Amino acid sequence: MSLFGTNTGFGSGGTGVFGSTTTDSHNPMKDVEVTSPPDDSISCLAFSPPTMPGNFLIGGSWANDVRCWEVQDNGQTVPKAQQMHTGPVLDVCWSDDGSKVFTASCDKTAKMWDLNSNQAIQIAQHEGPIRTIHWIKAPNYSCIMTGSWDKTLKFWDTRSPNPMMSLQMPERCYCADVVYPMAVVATAERGLIVYQLENQPSEFRRIESPLKHQHRCVAIFKDKQSKPTGFALGSIEGRVAIHYINPPNPAKDNFTFKCHRSNGTNTATPQDIYAVNAISFHPVHGTLATVGSDGRFSFWDKDARTKLKTSEQLDQPITACCFNHNGNIFAYASSYDWSKGHEYYNPQKKNYIFLRNAAEELKPRNKKW
Amino acid sequence: MAECDAEWEYSKENIQPLRQGRSVSALHQALCQQQEGNHTALNLKKQEFESELRLYDGDDPLDVWVRYIKWAKQTYPQGGKESNISVLLERAVMRFTAEQKYHNDVRYVELWIQFAESSSDPMDVFRYMQAQGIGTMQAVFYIAWSEEHEKRGNMKMADSVFQDGVKCGAEPSDKLHAFHRALQARVCRQMMTSMTEQHRNDDDEDDEEPQRASLAELKAKGKKKATVPINRVKASVGYARGLQFKQPLGPKQNSRLMIFDENKAESEPQEPRFEVWTAPPAARAKENQQKVEKWSNVKLPLKSRSGLSVAVPPPKPSFQPFVEEDDQPPAVTPCKINPAVNSVLSARKPSRLEQTPLKKLQEKQMQTLEDGESREQSMYCRDLLYSGATEFCFEELRAQRYLQTHTIHNLKTPHTSTHCLHTNTDK
Repeated sequence: MSLFGTNTGFGSGGTGVFGSTTTDSHNPMKDVEVTSPPDDSISCLAFSPPTMPGNFLIGGSWANDVRCWEVQDNGQTVPKAQQMHTGPVLDVCWSDDGSKVFTASCDKTAKMWDLNSNQAIQIAQHEGPIRTIHWIKAPNYSCIMTGSWDKTLKFWDTRSPNPMMSLQMPERCYCADVVYPMAVVATAERGLIVYQLENQPSEFRRIESPLKHQHRCVAIFKDKQSKPTGFALGSIEGRVAIHYINPPNPAKDNFTFKCHRSNGTNTATPQDIYAVNAISFHPVHGTLATVGSDGRFSFWDKDARTKLKTSEQLDQPITACCFNHNGNIFAYASSYDWSKGHEYYNPQKKNYIFLRNAAEELKPRNKKW
Repeated sequence: MAECDAEWEYSKENIQPLRQGRSVSALHQALCQQQEGNHTALNLKKQEFESELRLYDGDDPLDVWVRYIKWAKQTYPQGGKESNISVLLERAVMRFTAEQKYHNDVRYVELWIQFAESSSDPMDVFRYMQAQGIGTMQAVFYIAWSEEHEKRGNMKMADSVFQDGVKCGAEPSDKLHAFHRALQARVCRQMMTSMTEQHRNDDDEDDEEPQRASLAELKAKGKKKATVPINRVKASVGYARGLQFKQPLGPKQNSRLMIFDENKAESEPQEPRFEVWTAPPAARAKENQQKVEKWSNVKLPLKSRSGLSVAVPPPKPSFQPFVEEDDQPPAVTPCKINPAVNSVLSARKPSRLEQTPLKKLQEKQMQTLEDGESREQSMYCRDLLYSGATEFCFEELRAQRYLQTHTIHNLKTPHTSTHCLHTNTDK
């Protein structure tokens, strides 16, 4: 049964997927499990760009490895290749032509992995772990942007060992996103900086954080003309802010909403608040998905300001998520995010990556698109 | 050597004096580093301390804080925001308030004293310490407190503090006695000089200034013993000194007002005893720092925002402000605002005392769920993330732990003992 087509249903326990047991809470949504997942927490996921035929998924983990799977139309996942770093991998991204994968690690380096030759070379060096890595494709240049805990944002031409440019940030980089010509970086101590990438990257504006707690994840969204117009920012305390860069009416257009909390309406017991680990926008519908420490994912329509769906609770936090290039597949990773420190870490616990059909569930409420 | 000296001479005025003095080499190095903008080495060292704070699992966590603060003071001679010294002091002090074993540890007490000295109202802090039993067995506590009194000219209280110390049997007792005697000597000298001046007949206003300050009886000028208009007294004495005392200033002959005479002061000691201090006072003015607060349930109508006094939130908030465990009461409360001016603020005061951050801290440490106190509970390790001067994120915590285990793993060779690998080198 086709996973990616107009048919909404796909069989539970399709070909190549482990048999589903109804009592097992590791996959309550009965989504497709990716075969041979990493051995430790998954920090990042990225799907191949549209320039490449088919769907390839890259996942980086705290086991120092980056793995690549091919996701076939029938739902089967085939492990393709793997690369190693000397430290945990924190972020991955694809080049725009789909031939290279860039990986950023705690070992203070970033590598470029040529998938055709299966060779990886180092292309960047920082003085602290590199937290984010993004590919920038501008009309007059292409480069890699790396954000690190050494408080710098560096831009690298992959052919040279020295950065093209290095920008100083007020604090350590915690998360970033790039949609040309805009880049957003959220730092420690609730810092928020927007960069513009035309001609050459430069700081555009420092924004006062719309959130009161530590920044955790950020994702840029586009307007109807496919131009980046704002971003969604998630915090460590169950809240996401939707912020437009130049809205007609900032007080009304920008807003925040609560998410990943327990006991929605029950006020008798204290509400448990969980961190928002990642945010992803659907490439076609413009709706967004959030995943949290509570082990749930939710889909939201930011224009209608409504929640579209919340999943069942998984037995582990969900640490990463992403959509494929046409928005038919939603991938999310179930593993420990370290939200409760070292004590709650169980190295024996299995980590999973699930794939879900996302074509229907993320359709916006009011058909603005 | 002469060149070394010359270097710090240029920035002498920016260097905060330390009681125990500064090492010239450390000072020189610190100034050089700041001039060159060598932030990386400093940042690395700071990160080292920060991760040590979080990963330490020995018996004496206070030691890490003490070393960190000592390093910060030496490395940032100007003090200031970059050094985070005030933040560190505050955190260190708050972190161990519940630990009885540290209450009379001289290092902890000295941290409290440094905290008091850098706060806006040291007297509050000292009184709090006494109520909590922090430092009551340490001579340094009484010495510092009486010094505060002495600074304000309150000799009687300064003396009584020393007496308290002796009563409690503070150690080291000979140090306590020595400082007590010194204080008494100073008081005697002062009394002698003021008495000799009182007996003089010629009355020059300017000479009498010190005497005026203690608000002894006004000398009648010349032959007339009638009431002297007091306006210039007010202007020159009370306000010029800028004291925070509440004594009303006025002519002695005016029966409505009583001149406060410190030598007869009895009311002061009674003041702190009215209730147990549940909350340590706020150390620094925090108006410029945004508080982490939850405002989601309350919406102020836009129109009333322009009005300052009329359309304000109700005295007892209908929502429960979410307060972090190391959060202080908002800046409005500790400020000396006359309650009559703004009744809204004074109404909030009592409700604040019930759910103070310190109390929350204590309850959290006892791991009891606060029923009805907080409607929200963060499901992550807040104390681990926020225990140092700067915050950490989950990944940083995990990365630190990874680095630690990884370096130990790398260093582990058959012939070295594991014991020495586990201790962090003291720097």
